Amino acid sequence: MSDRFWQQAFAVARRDLDRERRAGEVTWVMIPFGAIALLLVPLAIGINQDVLSRIGTGMLFVVVLLFGVLTAVRRTSIETPEQRDLIALLGIDPAAEFTGKTMASAFLLLVFQIAMGAVALVLYGLDISGWAWMIVVMPLTAVGLAELGTVSASVAASTNAGPALVPLLVTPLAIPLLLAATQTVESVDREGGNLTWPVLMAVVVLVLAIVGVATARPLQETR
Amino acid sequence: MSDATRTRIGALDIVATVSVVFALVFAIASPRIESQGEAARLLFVHVPTIWLAYLAFAVTFVASILYLATRRLRWDHVAGASAEIGVVFTTVAIIGGMVWGKATWNVYWTWDARLTLTAIMLFVYIGYLALRRVIAEPEARARRSAVLGIVGLVQLIPVHFSVTWWRTLHQTNTFRPRDIQMDGPILAALLVSVAAFTVVYAALLRHRVRLEGLELAAYAAAAAPVGPVAGDAVSAPNIGNSGAQP
Repeated sequence: MSDRFWQQAFAVARRDLDRERRAGEVTWVMIPFGAIALLLVPLAIGINQDVLSRIGTGMLFVVVLLFGVLTAVRRTSIETPEQRDLIALLGIDPAAEFTGKTMASAFLLLVFQIAMGAVALVLYGLDISGWAWMIVVMPLTAVGLAELGTVSASVAASTNAGPALVPLLVTPLAIPLLLAATQTVESVDREGGNLTWPVLMAVVVLVLAIVGVATARPLQETR
Repeated sequence: MSDATRTRIGALDIVATVSVVFALVFAIASPRIESQGEAARLLFVHVPTIWLAYLAFAVTFVASILYLATRRLRWDHVAGASAEIGVVFTTVAIIGGMVWGKATWNVYWTWDARLTLTAIMLFVYIGYLALRRVIAEPEARARRSAVLGIVGLVQLIPVHFSVTWWRTLHQTNTFRPRDIQMDGPILAALLVSVAAFTVVYAALLRHRVRLEGLELAAYAAAAAPVGPVAGDAVSAPNIGNSGAQP
């Protein structure tokens, strides 16, 4: 991939992050909303510290998955057809646009995960002995979810049902990521760590990246 | 009803019907499995339906790639039709599995990895079909759903390997070429059943693809300029260009 490709990708990512900096939706809406969700779970299932510490990691990733979808939903509602036409007319490589949008979403999701991880640690009293794996798991989860969100948002763009459709498209497809993320942390307790799950995540992330880049042009043509 | 829209019964439909009858005879005639009783005969429906679900979604994946490569709408019709059939057979597989589960595990539903992931796979393709319904323009629908048809394959990997990755209630994969633990007559009945269901899939796919073609023709007809409308006969008055100035 050429320098021009990466320049375009970084420009798109910068645009999306500038938009987020101005609106502050992740900082001021998604993170507090996710924290409330993590706070509600113990109230719903009962305050038993043993149970909470056992399910805490799973709940963390469920919240990350469900709220991560909001990033993609938001994109379908704020990008107008005219904006998308302008991007196409500017001659921006569709694959670079996909890469840039994914980078921006992945960064925001990583910030969201770190914030939720801190909240879960405090609320659920999680054992952090296996959390060294989080250095691998969190970025892979963020990139995978961002790729799925970007592809789904492009697929559902300009349709009347876009905001309703994206969660239905992203949530089931993100299950391999969710499973691998939770199993990685759990495998530390069982067998001191298992590379199989991070490898599965990496494979899913790689497959989604290839599909996203390869299908970016046909998706741009449908606008 | 015009000749083009009339349903034609072809050789494939006859073969499908005959093979289903054969499969039914084999299933009834196969020996009883003592440990599970008559409920074990659900094997001859459950395994073929989940096989067809895999096959249908794999066909959707391949047809989606072929559409993006060739841009021929015929491949989009195959992808969409196959996904529809896959959703139907996945639903049948889940319901059949629940009935079988009640007989063997005494519960309709258990949080078994294979069951749960199969249900999630169903939602992936329900999403795919929902996407197809919200986009009316055939080319746009074809391109967008082709992308989803390709991404959807990601979900098939954990479904298939779930019985290996987790110790679950569900038995491991039925067909393991190096380790077949099944009596000859039961295996024969199962293979006949799988073959019959596959022919049924092919027959359904043929009809559904034809219907997709008819839908496309109807869309094109609706989008085409209509015939003469009231007022067409009235032409604008010819004021002429005599050069006279007002």
